[in-house]
Amino acid sequence: MPPTVSASGLSLHYGRTRALDDVSLRLAPGVTGLLGPNGAGKTTLLRVLATAVPPDRGAFTALGHDPGTPQGRQEVRRRLGYLPQTPGFHPDFTAFEFVDYVAILKELADRGDRHREVRRVLEEVGLGDVRGRRIRKLSGGMRQRVALAAALVGDPGFLVLDEPTVGLDPEQRMRFRELIAGAGEGRTVLLSTHQTEDVAMLCHRVIVMAEGAVRFDGTPAELTARATGRVWSSTERDPGAKAGWRTGTGSFRNVGDPPAGADLVDPTLEDGYLLALDGIGTEVTA
Amino acid sequence: MSAVLEETPVPVSAPVRDGGTRAVLALARFEARRLLTSVPVVLAFAVYVAWIVWHTQNSWDGYPALQDVDRETQTMPTLVGLAVLVYANSAVLRSGRRGTESHFATLVMPPWRRTVAHVLSLVPAALLIAVCVAGQFAREAFKPGAVGHGSPAELAVGPLCVLLFGAAGVLLGRVVRSALAAPLLVVLLLFTAAFSAAPGVTDATSWLAPFVVEQSGPTLPSDLLGRPAAWHALYLAGVVLCVAFAAVLLAGGRTMTVRAGVVLSLALAVTGGVLQAGGAEASPELTAARERALVRPELTCVQRDGSTYCAFPEWEPRIDTWARTVDEVRSLAGGSAHERPLVVRQRVDATFGLAGDAAVPPSTEADRVTVGTVWGGNRVPEFSSAVAAVLVAGSEEAGGELCDGRMVTLMWLSLSWQDDPMNALSRVRLDDSVAGSATVLSPTNPMTMTEGQTDVVRHLLEKPLPGTGDRVKAHWAELTEPGVTTARAAELLGVAAPEKADSCER
Repeated sequence: MPPTVSASGLSLHYGRTRALDDVSLRLAPGVTGLLGPNGAGKTTLLRVLATAVPPDRGAFTALGHDPGTPQGRQEVRRRLGYLPQTPGFHPDFTAFEFVDYVAILKELADRGDRHREVRRVLEEVGLGDVRGRRIRKLSGGMRQRVALAAALVGDPGFLVLDEPTVGLDPEQRMRFRELIAGAGEGRTVLLSTHQTEDVAMLCHRVIVMAEGAVRFDGTPAELTARATGRVWSSTERDPGAKAGWRTGTGSFRNVGDPPAGADLVDPTLEDGYLLALDGIGTEVTA
Repeated sequence: MSAVLEETPVPVSAPVRDGGTRAVLALARFEARRLLTSVPVVLAFAVYVAWIVWHTQNSWDGYPALQDVDRETQTMPTLVGLAVLVYANSAVLRSGRRGTESHFATLVMPPWRRTVAHVLSLVPAALLIAVCVAGQFAREAFKPGAVGHGSPAELAVGPLCVLLFGAAGVLLGRVVRSALAAPLLVVLLLFTAAFSAAPGVTDATSWLAPFVVEQSGPTLPSDLLGRPAAWHALYLAGVVLCVAFAAVLLAGGRTMTVRAGVVLSLALAVTGGVLQAGGAEASPELTAARERALVRPELTCVQRDGSTYCAFPEWEPRIDTWARTVDEVRSLAGGSAHERPLVVRQRVDATFGLAGDAAVPPSTEADRVTVGTVWGGNRVPEFSSAVAAVLVAGSEEAGGELCDGRMVTLMWLSLSWQDDPMNALSRVRLDDSVAGSATVLSPTNPMTMTEGQTDVVRHLLEKPLPGTGDRVKAHWAELTEPGVTTARAAELLGVAAPEKADSCER
């Protein structure tokens, strides 16, 4: 499938901190997961792709437009839906008013069409019944869905979602997975998350970042396959393992280079993710 | 069983080429709706409308001069303006305070266009104020006793003030990113308004303020006002546009249109400011016209029942009202006074414009009565007293010098025909009393009633009109004879004489 978003050599520094280091990627329609520890540069990458900050170096195109030029940036923004990591709200707005406001800022000028679109996205995220309620009276999960509706309004071709399921209870997360899966049909969705289950369930591709650079770029199956033969079970934590933790059965699950004769077990996406971060000081403890 | 086909909503994408103008207007509508439904603005409008209703019920005693009414519309919109300032400022700061700025920065509409929308969102509030101003003015204009002409430029000041305050709130939001700044500015403005300028003192610098309250002494004909109202409206419009364009410029709108707008609006404000400063001082022609208004006013004269009524052209509709008062007083008089033709001339001391507060000197010519430019309320018994003074004493000047029993006849003529004579007695006296000595007001110099005269007049007003009227006509010659005592007048009119002689009687 041809890429809709293509970036090459993106670099960005905050003072002396290297937030992005020569990041190149190509995104196609569907949901792409972005995994990485805190400080890996995920949010920075998303902000660059959402045109919130320009990169120091490198370039990218989205949906055929180059945001490096003012005109191109406007064209990208016309086709962009962005859900920031900590979305702000205007608490005295109703859910409808807030999404309507965002729709206006997306230049949906016709009042009738815009209101229909706002109602549509609020229905899509399951807030049709509470659209007249003030945001200050909505739960955290509902607010997050308002933010998603704001990102979806205007039917953007490129959707950037920065940890949308943080702070949600399992039921809300399941609801969000449904929404994101639906949003990924026909759109290019880049989903930043700490939840490997989200990636396993939603994404056709996954990118792992660490220290501002891409450490892995492939399918979830390929990331999982990286751990094939490198996950084993033992009665004690194996000191040679890169990571190890006690499971619910009382045995230890170890990830790394197994000793000879180790009791190998089937790897998961999370195992592959941990191994992709190998050598950057990330540690998982019991 | 029937199947219901539901139309699946079709997603709407942002238009690819729109120029953003329609979106700016859509945002302006959105912000305007929120502004007009915000608590402070709704409260301010409620107070403002309530004030208009209350004020127009009692104002001008039913006889408004529209060239004064237009200025009355300027002060109260400030209340709404201050509320609009606070709300507009909070709307500009909303995204920064609620952490949505970084998100909204990735949306199509840039901040400077949002600022344009904030400025445009003020227009409906200003239009509502214009409707209220028009309503207030129309309510006065449709009163049967209304005279004169309002100035569209004076009427525009209220709406322009609201625009100015709102635009200042938007600009402040772009300069100071604190929610406290607007309330502090409001307090500062209120303090400045309260302590900076004494009302009535106006000079060129006074006109730099959004509106200029002049302590209105006399009501003047429109062409003698000398207020540079049109230039002031131009100046205000220029300042409003200048503040609005400056806010857009600070928000990043550095387009040629915006830069040109700043320059042109600044030029407009400076032009209006310079011209209004020039107009704030009375020109030699205006000064001469004002001086003529007292000594040789250009009046229109008409005849009514043998008397002549001369009025400034704007007051012509009021001549019939004056004539009715003259007829009432004259019908009660005896002797030749009953049919004596009077000349009622309108005079006003316009020498110092609206800042003047000088009394009009009494006319020395016989049978000539002065009428002022204000009517209704206390002005009716005052004019009635002036007519009675001329009938009894011969002239206004002589009437002002009365200090004998003729004052009893004069005051009875003046008051007895009125709906509530006792109330009219209190209203025509400076201290609103109905006992003791007091100064009696008239369109020119005041007259004096002694305690004894007051007692006799009060007793006369308590008696039926016809009986006293007959006695007045029967004893007219003696009652109007110079030197007649109050006691003798009381005796002739059939009431008890005062217990002690009047202090001013020789």
